[in-house]
Amino acid sequence: MARPSSDRLGYLLVAPTVLILLSITAFPLAYNLWNSLRHVVLTDPSSAGFAGLENYRALLGDPQFAQVLARTSLFTVVSVSVQMAVGLMVALVLHRRFRGRGLVRAAVLIPWAVPTVVAAISWKTMLDPQSGVLSFLFGVDTAWLAGEWTAWIAIAVADGWKTVPFVAIILLAGLQVIPGDIYEAARVDGSGAWHAFWKLTLPLLKPALMVALIFRTLSALLIFDVIFILTGGGPGDTTETLSYVTWREFLVESDFGGGGAVSVLMLVLSLVIAGAYTRLFRLDRREG
Amino acid sequence: MRIARLTVALTTGLALVTACGGTDGGKSDGADAGGGPETIVFALAGLGPEGEATQAAIKDFERANPSIKVEVQVLSTDATQYLQQLQHRFVAGSGTPDVFKVDGIYPASLAKAGWLLDLDTLKPDLGAFMPSSLTAGRYQGKTYAVPWFINTEGLFYRTDLVKVPPKTPEELVAAAQAAMKANPKVKYGLAFEGAKYEGAITAFLAMAGGFGGKLDPANLDTPENRRALRFMRDSIHQTKIAPQAVTGWKEGEVQQAFSSGQAVFALNWPFVFSASEGMPAAGKIGFAPFAGTGATLGAEMLAINGKSAHTAASWKLIQHLTSADVQVKRALATGNPPSVTAAYNETLFAEAPYFKQVQKVAEVAVQRPVATNYPKISDRLQTMLSSVLSNLTPPEQALTTAASEVRDIAANG
Repeated sequence: MARPSSDRLGYLLVAPTVLILLSITAFPLAYNLWNSLRHVVLTDPSSAGFAGLENYRALLGDPQFAQVLARTSLFTVVSVSVQMAVGLMVALVLHRRFRGRGLVRAAVLIPWAVPTVVAAISWKTMLDPQSGVLSFLFGVDTAWLAGEWTAWIAIAVADGWKTVPFVAIILLAGLQVIPGDIYEAARVDGSGAWHAFWKLTLPLLKPALMVALIFRTLSALLIFDVIFILTGGGPGDTTETLSYVTWREFLVESDFGGGGAVSVLMLVLSLVIAGAYTRLFRLDRREG
Repeated sequence: MRIARLTVALTTGLALVTACGGTDGGKSDGADAGGGPETIVFALAGLGPEGEATQAAIKDFERANPSIKVEVQVLSTDATQYLQQLQHRFVAGSGTPDVFKVDGIYPASLAKAGWLLDLDTLKPDLGAFMPSSLTAGRYQGKTYAVPWFINTEGLFYRTDLVKVPPKTPEELVAAAQAAMKANPKVKYGLAFEGAKYEGAITAFLAMAGGFGGKLDPANLDTPENRRALRFMRDSIHQTKIAPQAVTGWKEGEVQQAFSSGQAVFALNWPFVFSASEGMPAAGKIGFAPFAGTGATLGAEMLAINGKSAHTAASWKLIQHLTSADVQVKRALATGNPPSVTAAYNETLFAEAPYFKQVQKVAEVAVQRPVATNYPKISDRLQTMLSSVLSNLTPPEQALTTAASEVRDIAANG
């Protein structure tokens, strides 16, 4: 007798959450998908209509879009690899006992707590050819952001400065749940520190590594704010990424069809990557 | 059964959400159907002194027209965001704002979308306006917006370092190099907006004018434009009269460099005069077209919503804002150059003599292309300029590529 009423209560309790999710996630997603199949340019209402796959065809047939895709992917692979490696090193250091560790752990988190836009503007100021600290130190007036490679390095550093702490904290949490006695057992068996790192630490850290990797890959793929502030996509179009193109299609050109198509492609890409990672992770667990 | 209950819960919730979302649409419409004064909504972006000048002008207007009340709707100060906010209202079919300010590069696209009232039906006195400023408000032979105030980008020069403004680009380079050599405090020969944004286009257009070039979307790849683009690139990388830093400069940094006395020449807008007060360059500022003939015209236009229920009252407000007296007051309070010829009079010159120079520059200044898809054209031009100024692509090649892209965009829109 009690069950139906507790069921009803359950539905009632989750209903607000479901509604909110439907209205802020499912609805915009579906609406965007629908828009991507239509011709919707706000400034040209008379041309609105169903376009089928036209937006996608235009996008995939555009050699410039292929370049954007390639450069976003390259940035993601390189920057995430470096961030993971550096983040792991920071985490290992923070895991050791040393005087003032609490203070250092707190300090490491600061970059992550600074809003990206604020951080990016600070980096831009530091990179300024006339008044920037970098020009002062090297005694030059190079416009770092006007060179293709220096601009990318600046973007990667500004992004990494903020995200390495994030990786480090996740990995540190992972390190802390590894029981200390297995290292003792390894030492008794005559294993060196290096060996223990590869054979014990890394495999046991895999769940934490996976979490950090998924988060970082997806957000590197979507990078926008740092680029928007630092280079505006320049010099030329050499630092335009997927999100930058989405922004331009939607907000500069008011093209909700074309912009919708880019963002749907980004969604698919994100899902594929997230799926691939989780699959990799699960297979591994089954073996172990 | 369970599923049915869930569905009921969801539909009720959704209905509530939709109902809430639907109520704010036409809130301010038709509120004044009764006997009281007629209320018109005026959208603008002004803050600070500009906002105050507008408020003062509106108060005068309400005093002269007691039957009309003006409700000011302040939108974003960012030009792109401002346009989006307007567009969202128009897409929703709103009758408000009745009258609004809009940047001179947008009226054509808004008119094409059918959102603007054809002002010719109100018989405007177009002869009163500075002639070159009217083109931005015209679309397919009709007037959809009139200029509220204009802006002119030209060449600022230091009267203590350069006796007369250079008549050719070569003269400019020579004068800049000579002044830099003679004064160690002068670090830059020429400063201009070189960042990847709209300002780079206005700076380029001013320089192109000095070479006899112009921004015709159908034909960008002209010898004059090539020379102008090469000059712009060379000023950073060959003659080196401009620092590499200009590739990141917007008008603020350009003004800083000039006002602080570090630059001989600067391409910029008239706000430099008021912004230089108390700075090293104050009192030593000359303003002229680039190489005698190059200048860019910007205009803030006023237009009326095609769905407005108060067109007569809105038009009265526009007439008030574009009357010579109100324009002079605004120019003195904000530095905004008037859009009507009659405002360039003794009252104005007595208080702010530099408007004489502004008027001269305004006479030769030209608009950016009036095109319904200007934002798209602007994006291609910005990419081209950024790529040339950072010495990534040779000017000729970049111009040829951009010209064919822009031609396609202009033809398809």
